[in-house]
Amino acid sequence: MDHQNHQVGSDDARLDALFEAYRAACPDLEPGADFMPRLWQKIEARQGMSAVFGRLARNLATAALALSTLLGLAVSFSGSRVTQLPSESYVEVLAEEHNSANLDFEPVRLTTAEQR
Amino acid sequence: MLVDYELILRARAGDGPAFNQLVAAYRKRILGTIARTIGRPEDVEDVGQEVFLRLYYSLDQLRSAEVFEPWLYRLTANAAYDYLRKRRRRMESRMADLSEQQVLLADAVAGEKIDRDEGQKKRIREAVDALLDRVSEEDRVLLTLKEVEGLSLKELGQIYHVKENALKVRLFRARQRVLKAFTAARKQAVGVSSLP
Repeated sequence: MDHQNHQVGSDDARLDALFEAYRAACPDLEPGADFMPRLWQKIEARQGMSAVFGRLARNLATAALALSTLLGLAVSFSGSRVTQLPSESYVEVLAEEHNSANLDFEPVRLTTAEQR
Repeated sequence: MLVDYELILRARAGDGPAFNQLVAAYRKRILGTIARTIGRPEDVEDVGQEVFLRLYYSLDQLRSAEVFEPWLYRLTANAAYDYLRKRRRRMESRMADLSEQQVLLADAVAGEKIDRDEGQKKRIREAVDALLDRVSEEDRVLLTLKEVEGLSLKELGQIYHVKENALKVRLFRARQRVLKAFTAARKQAVGVSSLP
């Protein structure tokens, strides 16, 4: 057990030393000469992309507004020419058209002979 | 702090030269932190550019001078985390990648038995990179900031907006996982090297 603890402790210290060696093996880096120009290119490219999306969104909004105005005008214009709607309800019209007088068949009448 | 708050305010107002000065003051340090966190020198500048790009577009959210550095570290930690996650998706790197030679070298370095030339430094980087791949990307970034960068728990708390106790628990678990992998790899390497 003691041996195991000692082993873990020793590995712990070795890992710390390895991290330290790693820190020394990766010093702070001096960037290349084109670091800033490339960064500004990326910034401008993203700004350009946002501008394109902004323009697209504005155009879409304008088109949607124009379309809804046109539709509104069309509805209000056609509304004035709508014929008078029937005052009866659908059910009432149906009932009227299908009353017993309009049936295609006659009621069955039994003759006296048949009654017998 | 490496710059005056006035410079930050000017950069925030859209002053290009002020932003250049701000980047110039911090880029070396930030690139070093990224290099030690991601372990791939060839990708360090790209991740660094992402950090400063995010800085440019979020400067208007900064409320006070004191939070600037923790906030810049937070952007750095996030960019490194995003990079590591993408990399893991691209290529599943496992402990098997930690070759016997790397383990023996890491072991020797830990015991300070060898001099460190460029080739050995590269192998140390590869060995630690493979070891840190044993933990999640979040824990890897956290562990690097603590163990390699030497940030205190208080500083980490400011960066992550998390209580110190929660950080302690998380760091302990992450370190235990790395330590377990390190011990196992050492045992295996020592066993293999002692074969006739």
